[in-house]
Amino acid sequence: MNLVLIIMILALLIPIYEAWQDDDIWQKMLAFASIATKTSVMILVVSVLRDDWMIGVVGVIILSVGNAGLMLLAHIIKRMGEL
Amino acid sequence: MDDSYIYVIVALLPLAALILTVQVNPYHALVIRGILGAVSALVYAVLGAADVALTEALVGTMLAITLYAVAVRSSLVMRLGVLKDSLLEAEQKLELALNDAQVSQRSFADLVADLRTIVSQYHLRLELIPYPDPQSLHQALMAKEIHATCIQRSPQDEASIPQSNSQPYHTTTRIHRLYKILQTEPLAPMTSLDYITALDSAEKH
Repeated sequence: MNLVLIIMILALLIPIYEAWQDDDIWQKMLAFASIATKTSVMILVVSVLRDDWMIGVVGVIILSVGNAGLMLLAHIIKRMGEL
Repeated sequence: MDDSYIYVIVALLPLAALILTVQVNPYHALVIRGILGAVSALVYAVLGAADVALTEALVGTMLAITLYAVAVRSSLVMRLGVLKDSLLEAEQKLELALNDAQVSQRSFADLVADLRTIVSQYHLRLELIPYPDPQSLHQALMAKEIHATCIQRSPQDEASIPQSNSQPYHTTTRIHRLYKILQTEPLAPMTSLDYITALDSAEKH
């Protein structure tokens, strides 16, 4: 099962590279959304591997709340472009 | 239990932190800070600290970024005071310029567009604040409501200073750094530039 996690880490490196290299703020936001979702899914996978419900609940909360924070940030950046 | 993947996951944290430190644009840095928060929440959860991971995700990623975005947005701004008439004129000129190219002399809209490109190199926003007459404009500059003023020269002004014919506008700023920035940039054919000191006694709050 470690192989699955290693593959997920390699997939996580792709949006990190994108966030580092791309100068467009919306591309960075896309990379942020991708990373936030990938990391919380990885937390869920780890929780299933270890059969640990405490980490699993935290993963679910981070999965939902990370998207809410993303929406707030996107709204502020959008307002900045309008003015 | 073979936990070799933990080392790889932990290595992501300094990587994200390194990317965060090389950012120049404050908004880009905010987005990367969100990425750092997501990665560190992953690291904390994998290492078994579920409560720390939850706090990082709720406070570090969501609340802190939103508050910092509001702070950066309201502080990285250049407030330019203009007269109401010239602002209206600029908007009309902008509409006219779309369908015919008869605008021979460079208008106020061009000057504003130039200023916007110059200050955006320093990650600043340009905010135009209209005032009814030059007196209230000067008062607002002295009261530190605005950072700079930009007004058209009056005809008697142009008569007294002959070389000002080529510079139809006059810009005054009370921020020395803004004065330095605007001085080095090629605004010369459009506007003359002045630096004045506003007294500190006006700021009590």
